[in-house]
Amino acid sequence: MRYLFFLASFMIWGNTFCQEGTITGQVKGSDGFTIPGASVIVKGTTNGVATDIDGNYLIKVSDLKTAILKFSYLGYATQEIAVAGRKKIDIVLKEASKEIDEVVVVGYGTSTKKTLTGATSQVGGEEVEKLNVARVDQALQGQVSGVAINTNSGSPGGASSIRIRGLSTFGDNDPLILVDGVVYDSEGLNALNPNDIASVNVLKDATAGIYGVRAANGVIIIETKKGALNSAPKVEFSSYLGVQNTARRLDLLNATEYAVIKNEIFGSAGDAIPFGNTSIGEGTDWQDEVFQSALIQNYNFSVLGGNKNSTYSAGASYFTQDGIVGGDKSNFERINARLNLGNQLNDKVKLNSVILYTNEKRRALPENGIGSVLYNTINAFPNESVKTADGNYSYLEEVSDIINPLAQIENSQNQAIVNKIVGKEELVFEINDNFTFTNRLNYNYASVDFKAFSPLVWYGQGKAQNTALNANLDPTRVEIADSVFIDRGASVFESRSTFVDLNGESYLNYDRIFNEDHSVKGTIGVSVFQRTGNQLNGSAFNIPGNSVDFADISANLAPGGFLNNTGSFEFEERLLSTFFRGEYGFKGKYLGSVIIRRDGSSKFGPNNRFGTFPTVSAAWLISEEEFFKFEKITFAKLRGSYGVSGNDQIQNFAYRAQLDGEGVYVFDDVIVQGVAIGRASNPDLKWESTRQFNLGLDLVIGDNFNITTNYFIKNTKDLLFQPEVSGILGTTGPGGQSPIVNAGDVSNKGIELELAYYSDRNKELKYAINFNTTYLRNEVLKTPDGVEFIPGAAFGVGGGVATRFEEGFAIGYFHGFETDGIFQSQEEIDNATVVQEGAKPGDIRYVDQNGDGVISFNDDSDRKEIGSAIPDFTFGLNLSAEYKNFDFSMNVFAAVGQEIIRNYERQQPFANQLDYVIDRWVGTGTSNDNPRLTTEANRNGEFSDYFVENGAFMRIKNIQLGYTLPEKLSKKIKSNSIRLYVSVNNLLTVTQYRGFDPEIGSVGGALAAGVDYGFYPQARTVMGGFNFKF
Amino acid sequence: MRKFNYKNIGIVLVAMLFSLTACEKFLDLEPPFSQDADNYFTEPSHYELALIGAYDLLQGSFINLWIGEIASDNAIAGGESVTDSQGLHEIEAMTHGAVNRELRSVFQWNYAGVSRANFILENRNNINFDGKDQILAEATFLRGYYYFQLVKYFGEVPLIIDKRLGADEVTEIKRSSTADVYAQIEADLSFAASNLNPVNPVKGRVNKWAALALLGKVQLYQNKFSQSAVNLDQVINSMQYQLIGDYRNLFLVGNEGHSEAVFDVQYSGLEGGSYDCLICLEGNAAVGFQGIRQYTGPIYSDGNSYNLPTQDLYNSFESADDIRRNATILDIDSFISQQPNPANISYAIGGGGHTGLYNNKYIKKQGELGLPDNDLTSPVNNIVIRYADVLLMAAEAHNRSNNDGQALIYLNQVRSRVSLSAVSAAGQALTDAIWAERRYELSGEGHRFFDLVRTGQAASRISGFQVGKHELFAIPQIEIALAGGNWSQNQGY
Repeated sequence: MRYLFFLASFMIWGNTFCQEGTITGQVKGSDGFTIPGASVIVKGTTNGVATDIDGNYLIKVSDLKTAILKFSYLGYATQEIAVAGRKKIDIVLKEASKEIDEVVVVGYGTSTKKTLTGATSQVGGEEVEKLNVARVDQALQGQVSGVAINTNSGSPGGASSIRIRGLSTFGDNDPLILVDGVVYDSEGLNALNPNDIASVNVLKDATAGIYGVRAANGVIIIETKKGALNSAPKVEFSSYLGVQNTARRLDLLNATEYAVIKNEIFGSAGDAIPFGNTSIGEGTDWQDEVFQSALIQNYNFSVLGGNKNSTYSAGASYFTQDGIVGGDKSNFERINARLNLGNQLNDKVKLNSVILYTNEKRRALPENGIGSVLYNTINAFPNESVKTADGNYSYLEEVSDIINPLAQIENSQNQAIVNKIVGKEELVFEINDNFTFTNRLNYNYASVDFKAFSPLVWYGQGKAQNTALNANLDPTRVEIADSVFIDRGASVFESRSTFVDLNGESYLNYDRIFNEDHSVKGTIGVSVFQRTGNQLNGSAFNIPGNSVDFADISANLAPGGFLNNTGSFEFEERLLSTFFRGEYGFKGKYLGSVIIRRDGSSKFGPNNRFGTFPTVSAAWLISEEEFFKFEKITFAKLRGSYGVSGNDQIQNFAYRAQLDGEGVYVFDDVIVQGVAIGRASNPDLKWESTRQFNLGLDLVIGDNFNITTNYFIKNTKDLLFQPEVSGILGTTGPGGQSPIVNAGDVSNKGIELELAYYSDRNKELKYAINFNTTYLRNEVLKTPDGVEFIPGAAFGVGGGVATRFEEGFAIGYFHGFETDGIFQSQEEIDNATVVQEGAKPGDIRYVDQNGDGVISFNDDSDRKEIGSAIPDFTFGLNLSAEYKNFDFSMNVFAAVGQEIIRNYERQQPFANQLDYVIDRWVGTGTSNDNPRLTTEANRNGEFSDYFVENGAFMRIKNIQLGYTLPEKLSKKIKSNSIRLYVSVNNLLTVTQYRGFDPEIGSVGGALAAGVDYGFYPQARTVMGGFNFKF
Repeated sequence: MRKFNYKNIGIVLVAMLFSLTACEKFLDLEPPFSQDADNYFTEPSHYELALIGAYDLLQGSFINLWIGEIASDNAIAGGESVTDSQGLHEIEAMTHGAVNRELRSVFQWNYAGVSRANFILENRNNINFDGKDQILAEATFLRGYYYFQLVKYFGEVPLIIDKRLGADEVTEIKRSSTADVYAQIEADLSFAASNLNPVNPVKGRVNKWAALALLGKVQLYQNKFSQSAVNLDQVINSMQYQLIGDYRNLFLVGNEGHSEAVFDVQYSGLEGGSYDCLICLEGNAAVGFQGIRQYTGPIYSDGNSYNLPTQDLYNSFESADDIRRNATILDIDSFISQQPNPANISYAIGGGGHTGLYNNKYIKKQGELGLPDNDLTSPVNNIVIRYADVLLMAAEAHNRSNNDGQALIYLNQVRSRVSLSAVSAAGQALTDAIWAERRYELSGEGHRFFDLVRTGQAASRISGFQVGKHELFAIPQIEIALAGGNWSQNQGY
């Protein structure tokens, strides 16, 4: 209770002698134009007005002698002017070209770029909006250094993986994402309309530690647009319409090439030749059949403004995108409404409300793996037509797990509907000039309704995806008891899930300058977080008519309901936190900050429930020193930070052993459910911790050239792992899991550089160049005891493991054989110093890594590191220019030093192939790159660098040309401004990679990055749009 | 509004939140609708449910059908390519080492089974109820079975009895001697045999005779012939079992539970599954995997061409009159040529090898399919101990304990079922005849490799087999490491 006294003691305020008066004046920009809507506030009060259409203002002050007026307007540097008895003050605001005075939202408070001690990167709402992307994270790629965004799928509504400063953990690498203080997960970002975003701030270093146990992967703070006090309504309507097409097609064999090569494959092994006649023309181009043009549309309406006591910002939007594969079978649609309100309840109390409602619909096709639509498309046989003469889809019978991709699209019927209400209610008490006390309740409610219809289908003999018994679509018959058979017809699966996050937060901010030189800021607060979720699901069989029209559980005709099934789950998790931040600045030159957060997480057992996360940071504004005499350098700041943050992203109750394994057997021909231990317990389980050091330098040269650079070392310890454990523990049965343990260390080191140049804004041609680059080195420092490596993604079908987590290498590095050309002749094989069992002329020649004279296929002795999915360097380049009424912008992203595993080829004799196989080995001297093709047993399918490709690429993500109509024209329809534009996303990608898209995410977690299973590529989108402002 | 007392509201809010954070109980959540492993076994149904969990691991027995054949002279690995289940290809070539996914599965699954049986047995004294003895006896039988698999494959293995191992104990436990492991298995099976009911009305649950048959087999593996003979005789004399009339009907779903199934692992076709977790399946993976690759035609259905019989096995049969040859081995081309429309029948050759022959006992057939993906969901049970095997084991036990008369009776029972003439040998000649008969009778059922090793014939029959090494498989290298690196590797690896 002591601090309450402390709090009260600062509340004494008195102001007895004052001289009231009125001040008028005009606000102009440095270009000479007046600024309407600029804010004029008497400092230290809530007394404020906005300038009128001509930039004039009138404000009353209580004391003309001492009052200080604060002038601000978006995009301009805020100025404070002492009134000093004057009654008319005109002012020219300078554009905030330096950006260093820009307000930046940090955890539980704000700062300016000038006084920040941490490493952060900002992206403005305008830049996000301009990129015309469906999701805000897509807009971040290439905009800031140290942040890698990889789209996990180009399909509409597909999520991205967001990695701040590399992969640092085995499990969940997503950063903590906060929108107006409310926690979002990366999947949940679909709910946000990019046009609603005012600013994005990425906390990259240890100063993110104010968020404690969840901050180890960095924090992204997103603020949505808010109105300003005393400002006229600003209405905006914008829209764009675009056409998407695939940016890339693979070079596959046509029917004739296919026939020739397949004949060779079989003939060389002495088998019968499948094609008597190879002159069968081009055949079917399955990619032509599967890829289509698809529409993307967005409509966005917003209004913001405010009066004396309240501000508002409201918006509504509609977005819909069809897929370039499957069209409306792969669609994402979003309707969204948003309201941000700020209310001055009295001169001390402010109520802020944010509410966002979203309705999302998503339909999806199988992607990214064996059995996905694109996998089938790549491997389908060009000699077969899409449909046979009788009008049925062709069966592609020669390979049992490849089905007709068009039939697959037609039979795919699913939909997920998400209804989401996210927001906060926040009461801010401005206790006095120094103390602000904020209390808020954040909420995030989502309900997800999913339905999938599985009709009776027949893809051909022996296909695993068949649900019918035969081509007549007769249902399979199931024996439910001795000689009692029932039909198993079309089925529908439905699930309904609800997720609710509630987060109460309360914190006190203190801000005061003592004796002009000592600035002190403090934040102390508490946070209570609870997440609950539940699901109820069911599946029902024998949907009448095999028709999606009756695809509902209620319509099922399953006899006696015998086959029908239900399921459910429920979970709850909680966090309990206290935090403190103290900041001190001396003469605006020396800045220091201390953060301590204590978190309790229900993820951990009583032994290790609470953790404390400290951070220190400091900055030195060298340019403020008197000795600093470089005139060209107008601003120079050296920053350093070191701190600890945590990660608790594991399943609930991992610290105890539960009977959630699978114990299922068959008695009396009926499947019976028993119990078994699932995951073994680990009562000592605790969060993993990241220690991060950052050293940074910020420079401004002249007025318009900003340089920011960072060097960081990020070491993550006690990685939350589920490593393999000894079989004798007994957890390797069905449904069993290793205990989650803290073991393993990972290090990320890197350098970040951001350069920004803004041309003189008073000239007719204005332009800006923003360049950023990141160098990153990732290394596993330790694996759990007794574990040499953790196996990752598999290669091929039934094949070995291609990626690993192993000490001394990058996370998920590729491990396989190094190749050394092709054996050209039997003589070469016979004379080789290294014995490669079974080798024949035309086979890949492997390198004997351990020098024992034998290629060992049965162990690891001749396998080595052959690549990694983590780029060494990434680059972003953003250009923008304005000339008269025209504007232009371009965003380029590039990554180099990473590799991709070509894993979308079905290694089956009849599967279609990329046309590089035309250059295969067919005799001595014909090829030293591509091995012979044969059905004969061979070792060419071993995972080797033959399947690893250079993944480097450069991509023009967005290029845009806009034209703003002359004011005369726009005024005619009472608009302040009308802008029209055309824009192209993914115009050009420069890469050597043969697959659809070198920019592939990691669907199967950290160890599956860079494994291409037939990735759904990002579309090339050509669009036009307009923007009306009123 | 002037009286608006924000201070008080603020104080109350702060006080509330701070008091909440002081209350650590806020974080004490209990898992909803779920039970912890440590406070289980409080009512009879818990024992029953945990026993089902212990039975579950029997379903890993399909891998014995592969390894027991592929390691021997009976079959090659087959499959899509030489990297498809590479471990099996290495076993075929006798180049297998300590890194082998299939062998590791054997180690992991059987220890999971041991651990689930132990979970029941460590809690055997929690409560008392009618029928507990039967449950404990079944659990003990299962533990004996799992340890027998382990000792057959790996020799000396750590013994963990009646407890669950803590993570910290893993690095301390040692490999027990083969003798100790066998002693434990015999103790478990003897306990099971004396406590199990002679008849268990539930299909799939073990009875007294299954325990005695397994005990007799375990003793045969240790060359304890007279003890083995005593136990196997009890099974035979119980009159519970008899050879069925037509050998060709032994492995049909429609005939399951026939009078020859002493101990069979139950599978069901009523649950789907994925290739990611074969031990999670309720179906018999061996059947689909051993099916004919991309087959279209009558009777059979398509599969993955695993575990293909060798010509050597085909040729080994005394005569084409032995119906067991064609019941054991499907000669695909000959089969197709005998069908009405051979031109309409097709199949493909896998890149992992081809002999033209398929395992005709465990093979995917039309009318015996499970739910999709039916490569994984075959309902065909795996008969682990068949009455004919009991007779042949008993014959061998008697023969090798100098009772050729009884041995001949048993051997000739097996032969007469398939209309073969009676044998009248004695001594070693009789032993050889029994061993040969085992191959004719039991090929394709996963016994061959272990029989060859047990009888010392492996080196002469299996190319690449090294005496002193290949009698046992290597302990998976990673298991040695995960157990703290203190175990020695098996000889030769």
